[in-house]
Amino acid sequence: MSSLGPILQATNVHKRYGATVALDEVSFSLYPGEVCGLLGENGAGKSTLVKILSGIVVPDAGQIVIDGRAYRPHNIIEARARGVSTAFQELSLIPTLSVAANLFLPRPKVNVIGLVTMRAIEEETETMLKEYGVSGVSPSTLVGDLSLGLRQRIEIVRAMLCRPRLLLLDEPTAAIADREWLFSLIDSFLAGGTAILYITHRLDEVRRLCKRCVILRNGKKVLDAALEGITDDQIFTNMAGRSVVEAYPVRESNIDEFAPPVLAAHQLSAAGVNDITFDLRRGEILGIAALEGQGQSSLFRALAGLERLKAGSIEVNGKPVRLRSPHTARDAGIVLVPEERKSEGIFNDLSTAANISIPIINQAARFNFIQTGKERQIVERAAALVDLNNRFLRPNINALSGGNQQKTILARSLLANAKCLLLFDPTRGVDVGTKHIIYQVIRNFAREGGAVFFFSTELDELVHLCDRSLVMYRNTIVAEVRKEELTPHLLLSLAAGHKIDADGTT
Amino acid sequence: MNQTSRDRRRPLPSSLFAALLYVVMFVIYSINAPSAITLLGITDLLNNTIVLAIAAAGLTLVILAAELDLSSVGVIAVSNVIVATVSTKIPAGPFVSLLLVCSVGLLVGLINGWLVAFLGLQSLACTLGTMIMCQGVALVILDAPGGEVAAFIMNRLTDTVFGIIPVAGVILAAVVSGWLLLRRTRLGIAIYAVGTDAVASHLTGINVKRTKLGVFGLAGIAYGLAGYMLSAQTGTGDPRVSNSFLLYVFAAVAIGGTSLGGGRGGVIGGVIGAGILTVMQKLLFAVGVADFYTNIFSGLIMVVAILFGNLSAILTLRQRVPLIRRPNREYSVH
Repeated sequence: MSSLGPILQATNVHKRYGATVALDEVSFSLYPGEVCGLLGENGAGKSTLVKILSGIVVPDAGQIVIDGRAYRPHNIIEARARGVSTAFQELSLIPTLSVAANLFLPRPKVNVIGLVTMRAIEEETETMLKEYGVSGVSPSTLVGDLSLGLRQRIEIVRAMLCRPRLLLLDEPTAAIADREWLFSLIDSFLAGGTAILYITHRLDEVRRLCKRCVILRNGKKVLDAALEGITDDQIFTNMAGRSVVEAYPVRESNIDEFAPPVLAAHQLSAAGVNDITFDLRRGEILGIAALEGQGQSSLFRALAGLERLKAGSIEVNGKPVRLRSPHTARDAGIVLVPEERKSEGIFNDLSTAANISIPIINQAARFNFIQTGKERQIVERAAALVDLNNRFLRPNINALSGGNQQKTILARSLLANAKCLLLFDPTRGVDVGTKHIIYQVIRNFAREGGAVFFFSTELDELVHLCDRSLVMYRNTIVAEVRKEELTPHLLLSLAAGHKIDADGTT
Repeated sequence: MNQTSRDRRRPLPSSLFAALLYVVMFVIYSINAPSAITLLGITDLLNNTIVLAIAAAGLTLVILAAELDLSSVGVIAVSNVIVATVSTKIPAGPFVSLLLVCSVGLLVGLINGWLVAFLGLQSLACTLGTMIMCQGVALVILDAPGGEVAAFIMNRLTDTVFGIIPVAGVILAAVVSGWLLLRRTRLGIAIYAVGTDAVASHLTGINVKRTKLGVFGLAGIAYGLAGYMLSAQTGTGDPRVSNSFLLYVFAAVAIGGTSLGGGRGGVIGGVIGAGILTVMQKLLFAVGVADFYTNIFSGLIMVVAILFGNLSAILTLRQRVPLIRRPNREYSVH
């Protein structure tokens, strides 16, 4: 029976963009009922492979066979007709349409005269969401009003709705803190004989879900093996082409207990946050742990001057300030590295260098004319701080991988003379190598007296980097955990709203 | 589990404030010109509104899909001269010429759509081209004002049904109902999706190119219809009649609260916007504003109207901090 043969068999798939080879003779197979991890650093060719399998990009050469028949889709619809569906990392939802309309795009059900039956669709959505364990979303809500995490869940549910033979999940947990939701969905899905290609940067997810993984590096397949019997270090080595010896180097605390706090909030309330109080001192890395949509985005926006305060106060270096805009926040030394890199972080049509130099461009100008030589000096110095190769400075920032874009944003923040960095999930969707550079940047910044306010969906990062961590739940701070007590388990249970007993167990 | 869906208000209908403004202006107008609320006055007002309203309806579709279209005035000019040359000369002239102008509009629209969607050209630039071309064609068909529009068109379309309902009102109602239906079709939903985020639409499997082709085609038909109605008003052909018209069409759409960035708004707003612009001119005349001041006032009112028209969008958006979230993605549509 076909259940023993592979669902997908790709042979020598090749794709080049101009001079760069994105995929170089990649071959692999996927079998029914298996989750196969697809690993690789940014730019390794993962997303090209996803695009090819999804029907967005047509390969230059190579054969793909699905269920014994040649597979060469030219668009998403053709791919779906063959049972391939994708949850995209970049989320393919339309913010101005309702959850229900989004779930049934592109062909929502219509009645005899061709009108979309909204009510029926919304009812169906209601049951679907319940079945897939997505709570707190009304089918008529506009997707643009949902948190990023919920949007990602909707994206995943939509990909699963059509009961595909082959499901592609591209960084499905990038914005989801409660990963067990997805894992249990996947487990129940496999029983139906679907094959899942699971693209991620997170090794623990691969270990949890996959029996086998494929690793790409520079467009080539460098490993295709059962996960049992290979070590994390072997995986890293294969991904990076070098060994990552020590994941989180030990760090000495460098907190300045005497100076007034760099940033302090006192009973702060704004749209989406209630009664927030904390101090952040020079040299301190203060973590925020929270599941998605617990008010952390609003808190970051309030601290960056993007949200009007309803009550409470913010102090910078002991003096009360009113942060009316990101500009006043920056003048006070507070710089935000935002949640949505692509839409909030980068200037899409400018060069990488211009993206870095924008806040301090006056320093490189004489009589209001920019001196390119001076700008380059400043930019190169900043790029060195974040280990961004100079060859990336000239091209348009669009051409850079997510990791390098994030480095660019960090370089810009450092240049802006920040005293306090607000980092909102800075390692989301970046590769292992870049992650370590980001950790390094954070540590160096703190060692030199900077203060860091750090939200991450990866609890491991909070545990290893932070001096202490706050936990947010339902728009307010519910706990503070000291460095000695930080464990992922404790943070997760606090973030999920569990009360902790005296001895620290849930 | 999350706060997001509950504490945010649903957006107000984008045309709400424009509708309120229209009511206010109409009341002031009818106080100054009591004949306004007679059947004759209303018929007259609707007759004056309908050309702009239908053209604005067409343009709204294109703008909702985040494209621009300047070809309206070109198509209106061609339609006008076609009606003026054909409608009296051939059997069943009024009907044949109606068919003809709709076909011409559709053709121009499809050319626009093809250039924009399939060749990936900038809509502003290439519809400027088709607009000029159409104006040229109009001059070739009729090189000077003249010609004759069939009496049937002139009389019937500007009159009333059963002596109580203005024909123009019926046509407007038909346009609005057509929109209310279209909005609920797959194409209608796709128009909003494409206008909001073409790349995401592509990833969900919406045919972005065909959707754009569709809106340009529909808009072209609307422009043809607008030209037909214009001929009914003027009773004659004039290849330059619509030259001053273009900016008013855009103003009507903007006043109606449709975002020029695409994805937000609707045809009803455009129709109301056209109504506001028309009643504004009548109001200024009725109040007795001297001719040379008219432009100052109409410009002023237009700015206020656009402000009003966008109030709902502004009020809704105030609660979402990143005012503009246009995600830029790495996948390309073309």
